[in-house]
Amino acid sequence: MQPETMMNTSASTRMILFLLFGLFTGGLFSCAKESSLVQPDVKSGSLARFVVHQGYLYSLNHHEVITFAVQADGVPLLVDRLPLDYGLETIIVYEGLVYVGARTGLYILDIAQPGKPVMLSRTERSQSLLGGCDPVVVRDSFAFSTVKIINTICGQTNVRSALLVYQVADPTAPEEVGQYDLDEPNGLGYKGDVLFVCDEGSDRVVLLDIADPRFVKLLDIEVPIEDPIDLIIHGERMVVATRTAFQFYDIQDIQDIRPLGTISK
Amino acid sequence: MLGSLFSCTKTDFSFYSGPGQRPVYVDLASARMIGNEPPRPVIRGGTIVLQDSLLFQLDYGQGIHVSDVSDPANPLALTFIHIPAITAFTLDGGFLYADNWRDLVTLDITDLLQVVVLSRQENVFEPLMFPPQYSGIFECVDLSKGAVVGWEDADLIDARCQTDQ
Repeated sequence: MQPETMMNTSASTRMILFLLFGLFTGGLFSCAKESSLVQPDVKSGSLARFVVHQGYLYSLNHHEVITFAVQADGVPLLVDRLPLDYGLETIIVYEGLVYVGARTGLYILDIAQPGKPVMLSRTERSQSLLGGCDPVVVRDSFAFSTVKIINTICGQTNVRSALLVYQVADPTAPEEVGQYDLDEPNGLGYKGDVLFVCDEGSDRVVLLDIADPRFVKLLDIEVPIEDPIDLIIHGERMVVATRTAFQFYDIQDIQDIRPLGTISK
Repeated sequence: MLGSLFSCTKTDFSFYSGPGQRPVYVDLASARMIGNEPPRPVIRGGTIVLQDSLLFQLDYGQGIHVSDVSDPANPLALTFIHIPAITAFTLDGGFLYADNWRDLVTLDITDLLQVVVLSRQENVFEPLMFPPQYSGIFECVDLSKGAVVGWEDADLIDARCQTDQ
């Protein structure tokens, strides 16, 4: 089949999917993904406390990961509770492993048996970096996590906030390879070699060069926005959630990041 | 298990009267009232989920704002899904999973403007017993008063809780 023919086929498939979506949703979906009708494209911000992966819902209680098997009718069945330390904040799945950001550090869980997560490692932070928030993103064999200063959490007072970088090539033995001070960082995400971090303390999204994750460099580019909490990078677009709104950006050219629409309430 | 509920608070603090924070409750029957409401302002915005051209934003304690973002230059507020005492949610295959005080609820969001509660698992989660991102005196949570949907500044009388220092 010629490439051009393939594209046409794909385009007409998309059109049919689009029409079907329109029928089911009253036209709310303006574009359908190639995958299938029942599997829409879902991207979550880094502050998520729930995640669904291959039919299992992993959710955070303050001190444990609770796993549910999602049945065909969508009803979740509680199948496991994995106790960890108090202060679990965020959860993501990356290449078959679960990363949990906690007030005390980073957990990596194995879900080879998806209904029975097993702790592979627990990497504690130094006393000066105990504290809240703790979203994590992973790219290849490096994990990036922010720690946000909150005056007092469980008797521990942060003295500073930072971006932490871990080498996680061996998930049973992560190694912290970098610490970079930020004002009050929050959610984060990346596009290629550029890491975008919400910095609530300075009302901006900061950009960092992570081409070499062992030597992260702060870029001389920032996106001013009040109280950024979390963000999602989606292709050439970034959406930033704030305390009172969200804002879209065109990030095709990081030298020329343009605000698109915001929600008007 | 109960110990962890209070691990961030002290309840043996001597009585205190003065400015601090107190819980905002709804009764347990009201806490279960989940459903669509007209779009409204975000009060305490949190994380977001993008599903195709729909954006879902958490509003702590209140629910989820849903917007049509098929044109990112002109997002359109569609609806607000009221889920009292919510702190987390995710989406998968036309279903929305959220915490609703101590319960896990599953919503069918096939018709976004008329979501349906499909199931409820009771007493799965432990509620947060102290004001998040706050340091100081607060009125202890009294679980007999219902579900905590937020915290507010108040002049406290005989408060007995404070965050650990």
